[in-house]
Amino acid sequence: MATRITLFLLLLAVSPAVEGSGFAFAQETQEAAATMPAEDPELEAQVRRIAAKLRCPTCRALSVQDSPSGMAQEMRSLIREQLLAGKTPAEVEAYFVERYGEWILLEPKAEGFNWAVWLLPVFLLLGGLAFVLITARRWVREGQARAAALVKEGQEGEL
Amino acid sequence: MISSLGYLAVGGALLLSVVGAVAAFAAMGGRPQLAPWARRAVYGVFALATLAILLMAVALVAHDFSVSYVAQVGSRSTPLFYTVISLWSSLDGSILFWGWILAGYSAAVVYIHRDRYQDLMPAVTGTLLIVSAFFWLLLAWPANPFVPTWQAFGLAPGQVPADGPGPNPLLQNHPFMGLHPPLLYLGYVGLTVPFAFGIAALLSGKVSGDWIRAVRLWTMAPWIFLTAGIVSGAWWSYEVLGWGGYWAWDPVENASFLPWLTATAFLHSIMVQERRQTLKMWNILLVIATFLLTLFGTFLTRSGILASVHAFVEGLIGPFFLGFITLVLIVSLALVAWRSDELKSEPALDAIASRETAFLFNNLLLVAFTFTVLLGTVYPLVAEAIRGVKVSVGAPYFNRMSVPIALGLVLLAGIGPALPWRRGSPDLLAKKFLWPTVAALLSGVVFWVFGARNFLTWLTLVFSVLAVALLIGEFWRPARARREAHGEGLGRALLAVVSKNRRRYGGYVVHFGIVIIAVGIALSSTYRREREFTLGIGEAATFAGYTVRLDSLYAGREPQRDFVEAAFSVGGDGGFSDTMRPRLNYYPTSQQPIGTPRVRTRPDADLYLSLMAYDRTGASATVNIIVNPMVVWIWIGGAIAALGALLAISNAGSGADRSRRAAAPSVRRAKPAEAGVGGDD
Repeated sequence: MATRITLFLLLLAVSPAVEGSGFAFAQETQEAAATMPAEDPELEAQVRRIAAKLRCPTCRALSVQDSPSGMAQEMRSLIREQLLAGKTPAEVEAYFVERYGEWILLEPKAEGFNWAVWLLPVFLLLGGLAFVLITARRWVREGQARAAALVKEGQEGEL
Repeated sequence: MISSLGYLAVGGALLLSVVGAVAAFAAMGGRPQLAPWARRAVYGVFALATLAILLMAVALVAHDFSVSYVAQVGSRSTPLFYTVISLWSSLDGSILFWGWILAGYSAAVVYIHRDRYQDLMPAVTGTLLIVSAFFWLLLAWPANPFVPTWQAFGLAPGQVPADGPGPNPLLQNHPFMGLHPPLLYLGYVGLTVPFAFGIAALLSGKVSGDWIRAVRLWTMAPWIFLTAGIVSGAWWSYEVLGWGGYWAWDPVENASFLPWLTATAFLHSIMVQERRQTLKMWNILLVIATFLLTLFGTFLTRSGILASVHAFVEGLIGPFFLGFITLVLIVSLALVAWRSDELKSEPALDAIASRETAFLFNNLLLVAFTFTVLLGTVYPLVAEAIRGVKVSVGAPYFNRMSVPIALGLVLLAGIGPALPWRRGSPDLLAKKFLWPTVAALLSGVVFWVFGARNFLTWLTLVFSVLAVALLIGEFWRPARARREAHGEGLGRALLAVVSKNRRRYGGYVVHFGIVIIAVGIALSSTYRREREFTLGIGEAATFAGYTVRLDSLYAGREPQRDFVEAAFSVGGDGGFSDTMRPRLNYYPTSQQPIGTPRVRTRPDADLYLSLMAYDRTGASATVNIIVNPMVVWIWIGGAIAALGALLAISNAGSGADRSRRAAAPSVRRAKPAEAGVGGDD
């Protein structure tokens, strides 16, 4: 079991680094259906990826991708326009950050003080795992030693 | 009239709580003759709380707008059902509801245990009454729902408004509002009881034995409600909010999830203490943390602090909660420090590959999960306070961080039950793990071939197959043994095995439910497809194997709202089979229309239609079509988990269960390697 746990801890450690590579759980890219031939599936996938990272300013806790509100619809078309105008996804995000502040990003950027929110859970889990494994081994050892001592005591008593 | 009576009931409940608490602690401190009086005080608080809640219900139904809470949430045009349930649709009413449920739990606890646990009950009663006093103090002062309207609204003395605005439109848009909040409160508030037992254990110095036995039932019951409350809340937001999702990691959702995680950890770790007299300190800390998280969650979501650090000082609720949380924290930790010698426990572990170790990992993962969700929820406040910058922590963060932990839990849901207590012979372990591992590996290949290319989703499916196969083995092996021994049919043997040890197999049923939920979440979030279409009347769109045709678009009026509704014929490739009518509701108190999606639920996938916009001439409508695979399995998994937990406590307290347990240890020591077949949990 220990090796299996280590494997998934490894996953946890790498996953913050693998940005938007299909590693995130929510919303894998959804290729568009064929009914609207005018739609460019690659562009739409890119719009969705960016929209999923932005907060809908008028909703509670919903992303621009998920929100059905008018505001989110406008922001999605704004993303599309900017991508069509040749901006990179990073530039589009930067545009929204400049306009609304860091608050618009649903994930705190991994930089400076924000590292706390990314790393503390990983440290806790890794530290906890090490602690549990070490403690468990010590307990097993101590238990065996105690049992052996008991047995020995019993034998001496018989003599 | 109702205001004055309400004041009396609330004030009386507060007074009785304080007096009763004093009596209870005096009973513990050498005046046992006061114990019945403390018990009577609890019944009195329950009676007064019931009076208060009935008064409020009458005021709401009678549209008595002289009561400020009614003037806040009532309206003559609101249908009766939503008028009654608006009891919990706003802050003051929901705290009244809280106080009533706490009074109910307290009365049940002191009544059921009136002749038992003599060492613990006075302190349990006292602790419950102190918490109760806090809530009645809130109700008497900063959150008093009975304040006369003219005082609260600053009107001329005695003036009564003719009508009110009605409940928040979102909260009167779906009947689930009648179900989800009470379930959630029953879970949330009920977690006060295990805390009271924990404090009683500390105060009495009896930190093993009785309190662990008593607390299991009093944690399981709220756990069932909390589970049902969380799942029904997810279902509610899925049916109402129109974005086709069920969990947004909103702080309100997180607040309900946090104590669920620690209560789940506690339910597992007390089994280790029950068996091995170890983890005493840890269990006390978990039960304290669980209660603190219910208070903290309420504080976060009710004080307005999340809107901004600065918003919360405007009301008194925030400081009250913060003060009480601090008090509970300090007192509890001081008691733990005081009893630290009694809480030390002998190490009790015979092998790494044992049930005990599985529980340790289960606790580690659940606590890490709790910490992650808590950190993400409060980080915006921390960042605002320290960096002076507003940041958001939303779904992408929580998904990324929690999925690996959740995967570990799915794995443990199968491995844990398969590992015997103490130690298992390598032969037994190999026998148990061989076929499930083969099945999981084969399924991995199959899923890959069928196109599961999202790594984490694929892993979830493989782990789920492993867990389910291991769990099936836990049912199959003893049932087969019984069939051979008794010559019964397999079905009867299985039934006999399960009903003879409901606690154990009920727990495994919960695990099935959790694994099903995990699969539902993984598949619905990975393979969800959505697309927006603008359709003219009679025009059809084809998307993801579904055809959706706009038949008509019309507007209408109901007493409390206006609406615009679109009728769509929907079906698969072979023509139209159903009509779905998503609509937009317009409430007078809301500028934005409240979308009301329609969902066609099928075992393989939901078809979810959200009306987004319409042409004012009625010629066309814009609809968002969402195809959500396997969503229904999340609700089914939730129901299975709740029913499994119900099965697990269905014979708790019956004599048979206890005497068998008392007789069990000697039997178990005699043949430890057979623990895969015998044993309780």
